[in-house]
Amino acid sequence: MTPRTAAKYGYRLISMPYSIDGVTYYPYKDTDEEFDFHGYYEKLRDGVLPTTSAISEQQYIEYFEPEFAAGNDILYVHFSAAMTMTFDAMHKALKTLAEKYPDRKFYEIDTKGISIIGFAIANEVGEMVLAGKTVEEILKWAETEVDHYAVYFFADNLKFFRRSGRVSGLAATMGGLIGLRPIIFMNAEGKMVSIGTEKGRAKAMERLANTAVEIGDDVPSYKVYIAQADCPDLAEQVAELLQERFGGKLDIDIEYVNPTAGAHCGPDSMGVCFHSKRR
Amino acid sequence: MNTKTIDSGVFYGMLRAGSARLGANKTTVNDLNVFPIPDGDTGDNMFMTIDSGVKSASGLKGAGLGELASAASKGMLLGARGNSGVILSRIFAGIARGLDGLDTADVAAFDHAMQCAVEESYNAVSNPVEGTILTVLKDSVAKAGKSGADSLEGYFGALLPEMEASLERTPDLLPVLKEAGVVDSGGSGLLCIAQGMSDALEGKAAEDGEEPLPAAGRTHAVNLDAFGPDSELGFGYCTEFLLRLQTSKVDLTTFDVNVIKDYLDSVGESVVCFREGSIVKVHVHTRKPGDILNKCQTWGEYLTLKIENMTLQHEEIIKREAASEEEAPAVLKKIRKPLAIVTVASGEGLAAALREAGADEVVEGGQTMNPSAAAFIEAFDRLDAENILVFPNNSNIILTAQQAAELYDKSRVAVVPTRNFGSGYVGIASVDHGCKDLQTLAEAAAEAAGSVVTGLVSKAIRDTLKDGVDVHEGDYVGFSGSEMLADSPVRSEAALALCEAIGAAEHDVVLVFAGSDVDGDESEALARELGKKYRRTEFIMNAGGQPVYDYIFVLC
Repeated sequence: MTPRTAAKYGYRLISMPYSIDGVTYYPYKDTDEEFDFHGYYEKLRDGVLPTTSAISEQQYIEYFEPEFAAGNDILYVHFSAAMTMTFDAMHKALKTLAEKYPDRKFYEIDTKGISIIGFAIANEVGEMVLAGKTVEEILKWAETEVDHYAVYFFADNLKFFRRSGRVSGLAATMGGLIGLRPIIFMNAEGKMVSIGTEKGRAKAMERLANTAVEIGDDVPSYKVYIAQADCPDLAEQVAELLQERFGGKLDIDIEYVNPTAGAHCGPDSMGVCFHSKRR
Repeated sequence: MNTKTIDSGVFYGMLRAGSARLGANKTTVNDLNVFPIPDGDTGDNMFMTIDSGVKSASGLKGAGLGELASAASKGMLLGARGNSGVILSRIFAGIARGLDGLDTADVAAFDHAMQCAVEESYNAVSNPVEGTILTVLKDSVAKAGKSGADSLEGYFGALLPEMEASLERTPDLLPVLKEAGVVDSGGSGLLCIAQGMSDALEGKAAEDGEEPLPAAGRTHAVNLDAFGPDSELGFGYCTEFLLRLQTSKVDLTTFDVNVIKDYLDSVGESVVCFREGSIVKVHVHTRKPGDILNKCQTWGEYLTLKIENMTLQHEEIIKREAASEEEAPAVLKKIRKPLAIVTVASGEGLAAALREAGADEVVEGGQTMNPSAAAFIEAFDRLDAENILVFPNNSNIILTAQQAAELYDKSRVAVVPTRNFGSGYVGIASVDHGCKDLQTLAEAAAEAAGSVVTGLVSKAIRDTLKDGVDVHEGDYVGFSGSEMLADSPVRSEAALALCEAIGAAEHDVVLVFAGSDVDGDESEALARELGKKYRRTEFIMNAGGQPVYDYIFVLC
């Protein structure tokens, strides 16, 4: 979600930080539309390993309080709560604010995803907001629909996921050296799980496209999102594979993986998000 | 006395008397420590554990029996020290589970609780060893359960003699005990506790006054000089902690503690790991506590932590024992690496590549210089691992490696019969270090390595005609096995023709190792060219830095 898309829907963005060499960056925070994705992922290719951190209770208060003070309620569409400590701080902030603004309401939608699922759902929600839907209607939609946005992806170099330790089911091998690519998905709890490996990038990309066929639910009626960590050529190839399988009828949006999520998956990772029967 | 049922008051008295009896006898129990076990003396550890349970339960004497037992169990969980202490805390967790929801317990209910204790204690240990506190508990509970006793005194009347008898049998089950001429210390501590509990029932224990029990804990003077700048970390660290699982990291309702247990088993020894609500108690011996702490923090946050250098304490105990005895039994097991990989290569470039793929030792050797069995054995000795996988990477070296494996009895050794560098590299990179079964590992590695095709590019040193290829001196030739497949005055051309001939298009992945004569620009240009030509095949370029072969292609 970049500042431009956010502005379209009237969203306020909460920026999740990453750090390199002790310096913490808040991507998009200064409405910096032109984030240098390529430069960022080049650094990672050259061996830089960014770290990511949660945001504090105080920061959450700074995000939320002006809205409450202005008499607005908040709907927070966020990435998977199962992946981070951040939401502890959020709950503490809300507790503090509830005393001060007892009449204000806070709603949240846990997209149970990171990067592209969050983006897909935030877009859908944004469209509903523009169409004048009420928050109750949106929450009701989310209750059933969040589980119908699946993402399947693979990382090019497992050192990033290994270090972040957030994927379960990864075999403890050096298979990356011989081109083995674990296929990973976000499960219904909002956690990353590896479901086996494919040998070579071509097979891994085919697996993503085939999965969209297998578990997809009326895929052409919805937008398909491809997330790429600075590998647009590969994303185009996957888009082709998908179009082949769905008779060229797909509306495909190719987006960069945001830098904070990118710190966990590493450059040249890519994934496909589509409307599905299940996660 | 003829007690038909016990309530929380009686049970508290039993606990307190058990603790007091152990407290009075803990030095005797300590002296049974044949293992120079560095994670503290058994008597002290068990006493601190039960004492912590008694303190937690003391406020609940008027509550339900189940509630008091549960409080005692929680206190022991938090206070558990050392292996025996941890197991003791599990025994009482089992009892608490058996008594859950009860206000009083009759003989049948108490027996049920004791059976839960047996179950819980065995579950707590990754590899239950017979001839220990576990056996002593199991044997005696089985006997008491069958005694048909109709009073608690009767139950303990059957339990205690069998506990003593089972304790006497522990040296028959555990050779280290026999060697040292003692019975198991943990079992002995358990007997003290049971005797105290029985005394309380019989009214023989001291009246339950409110005066505090003797303070648990002792000052352990550690001589830091015992571990000097040149000392070897032979025994690793005894690492104990309580981890509070975090909802932000795991789903408490579905989280399986075996995930942690399996992980600990793969990286450490003497693992005890169990969960109580959202708290996980861990005891593990490891060389790298930092790795374990980082990993476990992905599931929760630490409540308490204790890490002790066991080598240091081992030295201490050896010294202490040597002062009183002629010789201390050296029975403490060193912590060994669970799995190590030995392979063969000639030249630093390929050796480095194999190390990157996961090899721990690379024995120098190859086509012209076959290593001896002794060279393998020296490598095995340096590794000091439980399991060793060997990748010989040459058909002339396979037999030597197998012979070395047969001769070696300090580790389990299996040979994966790889015939060239490429299959060795693929086999090694595919080893799953999370798997503990050597045979399974060897078979899986052989399968991964088996389908590999290797092609080589080198410079021709004379003119010849071979396999229909006209070879000119100074040209670059491409060949696979003994079959000549390509010749070109241009190195990249020879490489491209070779890939065509060995069927790169039919493989998903081709690893390329560029030799020492090839610079990075040239190899990258070749990789781009290959990538364009074979859209479905992925080429992974590596700087192999090997002599003689300008390119090694490994098709997998």
